[in-house]
Amino acid sequence: MTGWHLDDDVLRRYVERTDSLTEGASAEQHLLSCEPCRARVNAAAGVIELSVIDLAAVWDRTRDAIEVARPSVFERLLRGAGLPAHEARLVAVASAFRGVWLTGAAAVLAFAALAAAMGHARGLWLFLAVAPVVPCLVVASSYDPWMDPALEPELVTPYPALRLILLRTIAVLALALPAVLLFGLVVPGETAFAWLLPAVGFVAVVLAASTWVSPLRAAIAVSCAWLALVSLLATRPGSPDAIIQGRAQTGFLVLAAASFGIFLLRRRQLRQLRPWR
Amino acid sequence: MDSGPSDETLLAAVAERDMSAFRTLYERHAGWLAIRLTRRCNDRDLVADAIQDTFVAVWQRPRGFRGDGDIAAWLWGIAIRRLVSRLRTRRGVAAVFEHPGAAPAAEDQVLLSVEYGDIGQALARLSPEMRAVIQAVVLDGLSAKEAAQLLHVPVSSVKTRLHRAKAHLRAVLAEGSS
Repeated sequence: MTGWHLDDDVLRRYVERTDSLTEGASAEQHLLSCEPCRARVNAAAGVIELSVIDLAAVWDRTRDAIEVARPSVFERLLRGAGLPAHEARLVAVASAFRGVWLTGAAAVLAFAALAAAMGHARGLWLFLAVAPVVPCLVVASSYDPWMDPALEPELVTPYPALRLILLRTIAVLALALPAVLLFGLVVPGETAFAWLLPAVGFVAVVLAASTWVSPLRAAIAVSCAWLALVSLLATRPGSPDAIIQGRAQTGFLVLAAASFGIFLLRRRQLRQLRPWR
Repeated sequence: MDSGPSDETLLAAVAERDMSAFRTLYERHAGWLAIRLTRRCNDRDLVADAIQDTFVAVWQRPRGFRGDGDIAAWLWGIAIRRLVSRLRTRRGVAAVFEHPGAAPAAEDQVLLSVEYGDIGQALARLSPEMRAVIQAVVLDGLSAKEAAQLLHVPVSSVKTRLHRAKAHLRAVLAEGSS
């Protein structure tokens, strides 16, 4: 720091932007290393009110920005996909997206796929029983009030419940279906796509049923029905593939479409979501 | 004048998550940064965003300051780059080429030439576009790419203009000395 400082005229011209390039450059160079002159610029800017920038407001925004926790990886992914920030937060806050749930669901699938890939006869049945119901269980837990305490305040706000649930469902499917597909590729003797329609169909059934009962109950009922059907077929001779082949696929498609239609028709009942006990 | 803890002390406190030190640092520097940034970009909202980005970056990485030089210079380096990256996402925002009323009065011209010698006059005779490039590259220390983003011109234009401006200055100075 030298004894030399910007004189008042130069300072005024600098703040008012009536200086020349060289004078401005000289002032800026000096300002970088001179704290007293910087303070004078700050003061002059306040007096002349040339600085239309509301620095107090900028400070508030800055403080907000650093105090808000960094969004989760999943939330940032959603925002990257074009979802507005507040919706990304609503979708990502679902407990189903907490890593534990997803890891658990993936582990179950992986275990079943592994068993099937080992060629164990029961393994294929296990995969057949587990894979299609995992997505609908995850979807149900993504908006069940019992699983997700954050949901109750969300549903009393004017935010449309339908939109929230659909967004979450799409997010779950975007995560779960590739997983089902991936594990399906490991299972021998079957095209991976065959697992998709049952999975989508069950999700639609859960959505529709959740206009009457809680989503989790619906998902558990669907899963039990499916498990019963699979175990019934397992006691009979023949390939387990039959249940997801040919006409069965058409059936799942019809099931998905019909259930989704019911869900849309009865969407107003969603506001009556209550904890299941 | 404002006496108190030095910027270095404040920055060390910010690294320890001291919010009041951060506030002091903001109050000390946001003002002149805003003034200097508005000399580079006319859009005040963008400048406000750039200031916010700058201080958020300072809060997140206070140890980015390596201890060489002034903290003010370090802050300016962050701020001008944040402005450039904000400008990159926005089209149609004019960077400042010419200051309003930038033509200095005759006596100022004389004073300038006394104070800065021939170089001042030579710079004053550059076209606004060339001056903007000189300002961005030579005075603000931006790369050609960053300057191109700030001024909304292709990188090749920045290089050409810089080259021409240097040639022009060299010619004017040679003329003056002979």
